[in-house]
Amino acid sequence: MITRIVSKNFEIPNSHTLAVAKANGVYESIDKAFTQPSYVIETEIENSGLRGKGGGGAPAGAKWCLATRAQEMDQTSAKSYLVVNADESEPGTFKDRQIMEFDPHLLIEGMMLTCYAIGAHDAYIYIRGEYKFFADRLNKAIQEAYDDGLLGKKVKGFDYRLDITVHRGAGAYICGEKSALIESLEGNRGHPRLKPHKPSPEYYFGAPTLVNNIETIATVPYIVTNGAAAYRQYGTEKSPGTLLFGLSGHINKPGIYEMAFGESMQAFIDTIGGGVKNGKKLKAVIPGGASTPILNAQEVKEARLDYESMKEIGSALGTGGMIIMDEDTCMVSALKNLLSFYHHESCGQCTPCREGTAWVDGIIANILNKKAKADDLELLSDISKTMNGKTICVFAPAVAMVIDGFILRFRDEFEAYIQKSLGEADA
Amino acid sequence: MSFSFNSDNEKHFADLLPRYPHPKALVLPCLWMAQYQEGYISADAMDYIAKRLDIPQAHLYGVITFYTMFTLEPVATYHIQVCKTLSCELCGKGEIIRSIEETLGISVNESTPDNRFKLTEVECLGACGGAPMLSLNEEYHENLTVEKTKALLQRLAR
Amino acid sequence: MPNMVNITVDDQKLKAPEGAILLQVLIDNGISVPHFCYHEALGPDGNCRMCMVEIEGQKRPQISCDTRVKKEMVVYTKNESINDLKRSILELELLSHPVDCPICDQAGECSLQDYYMEFGLNESRRPKEEKKLKDKKLDIGKNIILDQERCVLCARCTRFTQEITHTNELAIIGRGNDARVSTLPGQQMHTAYAMNIIDLCPVGALTSKDFRFRQRVWFMHSAPSICHGCAKGCNIHVDHNQEKYKSDTIFRFRPRINKSINGHFICDEGRLSYKQENEERLDDFYHQNRRISQENALSYLLRYLHDENTLFVVSPSLCTEELVIIQKLAERFDIKMNAYHDPYTDPDFGDDWLRSQDRASNLAAVKKLGIPTSKEELLIELGKTKVVVNFDHKALCENNAETQNMLVNKTQIHFVSHLFPECKNHELLLPIASYSEQKGTLINEDGILQKFEAGLCNEKKNLLELLHIINATPETVEQVWDEILAEKFGLAYETISAEGKQL
Repeated sequence: MITRIVSKNFEIPNSHTLAVAKANGVYESIDKAFTQPSYVIETEIENSGLRGKGGGGAPAGAKWCLATRAQEMDQTSAKSYLVVNADESEPGTFKDRQIMEFDPHLLIEGMMLTCYAIGAHDAYIYIRGEYKFFADRLNKAIQEAYDDGLLGKKVKGFDYRLDITVHRGAGAYICGEKSALIESLEGNRGHPRLKPHKPSPEYYFGAPTLVNNIETIATVPYIVTNGAAAYRQYGTEKSPGTLLFGLSGHINKPGIYEMAFGESMQAFIDTIGGGVKNGKKLKAVIPGGASTPILNAQEVKEARLDYESMKEIGSALGTGGMIIMDEDTCMVSALKNLLSFYHHESCGQCTPCREGTAWVDGIIANILNKKAKADDLELLSDISKTMNGKTICVFAPAVAMVIDGFILRFRDEFEAYIQKSLGEADA
Repeated sequence: MSFSFNSDNEKHFADLLPRYPHPKALVLPCLWMAQYQEGYISADAMDYIAKRLDIPQAHLYGVITFYTMFTLEPVATYHIQVCKTLSCELCGKGEIIRSIEETLGISVNESTPDNRFKLTEVECLGACGGAPMLSLNEEYHENLTVEKTKALLQRLAR
Repeated sequence: MPNMVNITVDDQKLKAPEGAILLQVLIDNGISVPHFCYHEALGPDGNCRMCMVEIEGQKRPQISCDTRVKKEMVVYTKNESINDLKRSILELELLSHPVDCPICDQAGECSLQDYYMEFGLNESRRPKEEKKLKDKKLDIGKNIILDQERCVLCARCTRFTQEITHTNELAIIGRGNDARVSTLPGQQMHTAYAMNIIDLCPVGALTSKDFRFRQRVWFMHSAPSICHGCAKGCNIHVDHNQEKYKSDTIFRFRPRINKSINGHFICDEGRLSYKQENEERLDDFYHQNRRISQENALSYLLRYLHDENTLFVVSPSLCTEELVIIQKLAERFDIKMNAYHDPYTDPDFGDDWLRSQDRASNLAAVKKLGIPTSKEELLIELGKTKVVVNFDHKALCENNAETQNMLVNKTQIHFVSHLFPECKNHELLLPIASYSEQKGTLINEDGILQKFEAGLCNEKKNLLELLHIINATPETVEQVWDEILAEKFGLAYETISAEGKQL
């Protein structure tokens, strides 16, 4: 079940050092790639069907195209940037850190190829502030790369300058949203930007910018070296390749496991994850990081781990970080935990999210503390409707779908709590 | 009392400046440098950074207060931040908190009287596979048990 | 010139400039679409989400402030789903809003109140104990009180200090529903245009300390006038009310929109200049410190004009009609005029926006009427005369060595609206209406001719009326134009539009 594309070197001792990385194939794609025209890489990525691994799953090739086309049309500076999104803050997601810890040179190789493809000479790795260990490790790897002539004025002797800078965030989940990330990188508060009316790249200080998740970029070397067809061997037709899937919560073997798309979720949990901890029964799984609709045990049995299948059963694949909940888990507490998270992380810019996330957090707290009112579930659904599709970014819609998912699948638990509240109120 | 970067930070600043298209982009790196230098971001440091990067002070204040990890006041020597989000809660974060509270005699959001320890709860730190866990002065301690936690606190108490 | 295209709004056909902001087009066509963060002078921000409309072909409702007009666009601003949406977003805006209406100065001109009455009218679904508490009644300087609880975080005020005045005093701090507007701790507002944020704020989060608790807005009447503080001629509303047993009092000036002159804003000093209108008024006619009747005062005046060598010193802030009527009087008696302008120049006051260093409001008209303004000429004429008739010139009202020198041994006759410290040295004092009590026209420093209307209805006679009695010159502004000014300027009074006329 385990397929090692990005995680190929993870278990090799000192894989994060340049010497070991090189000895295991890292940077081998550079010589050939930099002698070919840059569109060769872009074409290969498009043909591979590589999809962004930050949770959205949008085709990477199309995104790259937007950046390159915008740069060609921009007559003033003809500059573009690559920003690697290492702001991994989605609860249940801890995959990107593996790359930074165990194969940072693979990431650097991916960045070199991507920058060459889109004509960028400056790249930034925006890493969440809490990941200090990983930022240090990245910085060391980058320094090794500079010392080895892989980065700097002439990348590996080619007439191409590339500078990579690690940029630490400071604790804001919303800075993982790509336009908020760019705002933060510009030195502002991490407020997402209004979305353009036609497909458009991001703009960093006015220059076209490609923002990609770190795992997406780390996949680029494999595709460039082995070709699009090789990548498409894995996964499904619409979700080709692999993802660093995660398991956490009530699971015997929590961790990150790279697998091709399309595997059975139940098989993944049982075989790789070793099943639910303490021999308990499975109750629910949040499939792809907190912002994906929860699945009950029956749905887990039917679920397949690719973007289309997850959408069909009314959820989303997201980051593939599964949170496993056993039969004793209280769903009301679980939802409260998540709504607290969202309340804390809302940037506050637009009304439905700023007020909505605070309000629903208050309502679920009341339900949990037996101070609920009879129509609190209708109220939650109502607020969820107002938060869905009416905001600047997708943060509030995610909260709305989380609420809807929990109430749809575990309504009786919520109603039981409300009954207790009304009982207490009467007493 | 005014603030300026120490020589290491000055070097770091000089290295970073040409890497960005505009000095404004150095807001976060400068805030980190100031916070490491003094342990928190002082009013003087804010003034210095605003002038150095030619940005309005009120804007800088708005940026600092937006992010969770920046602090405008000194913090205890050991800042214990226990992750409270779902996976960690499912895996026993409650017990870890209780053991810390009992051992140190403080509740969440409090500091010990000698200001050696502060305990807070934070949102997902991206270590769900190692739940429950905590971050101690930005260093992750994962796969905690009550025993491991108490041992950690003992080591720090000396 | 933008291309005008056809669009349909709520089944009505409209013409709109292609590429214009849809919300502005709707506002300009009198279609009410609720909004907080959009402002014509600041542009859209997209954060309040109140201005959502349905656009045919788009599956989700769109914010009209971020939508550009495209030809054949079909827009719905009021159907069931949009009404529902508006109500829901409004509910969220009101969620933590304190029920301060009884003590909030914004009441009566508050967007939240207006929208609530228009399409809200729902009960609160969250107990008030759970409302988020923030700081209230923060004095942030420059006469501004900030109430963070009332704030809807539309960011108009912060954008004003960032993008219009570039003084950056305000920022949004914190995150999520803890976010609030603030200055840097310990700092205050300092821009000369600070009080504009009070008008910009759609709710009672930013209110005027000067106006605090003084008057309910629905009792006040508004007159369109012009600030007389400098040669910029910013348009204002004069908000006034006559309370029982009191005289008609001005409570505040507010900016009046004039896209050719001041846009949506005025400077703080001009805004607060209403105070002078109310204070220290000259109410009666005096002869050598004894109160006399109007009839007697005018007789005395005529005697001086007939018998003695006289000089008229006129204020360059008088309206055009007053200037030309005084000119007629001067012609009749062969008297010289001077609108000595030096005291009205203040380089420290002038800036590159709405504050002119010329503190006179009608110098352009003075020049057009050929009235001399120099100090040299004034001193020459003063040397030749015994009697000085002062028509509200402020320098002659000031207590300084220069003025005393000029007026030593002269017979002083003052037509003034306000008392002044040295007025006891008068021979005659004649009270006249001030600009807020009369109508007239001014020409600003860019040559724009503008009208202003009378605000207060007090019983003061204005200068035109007094001089009509002794010189039979036209008594009203309209008559002055009919008989004199229409020919001089080549246009009729009625053709001067609200925005003014570029000469």
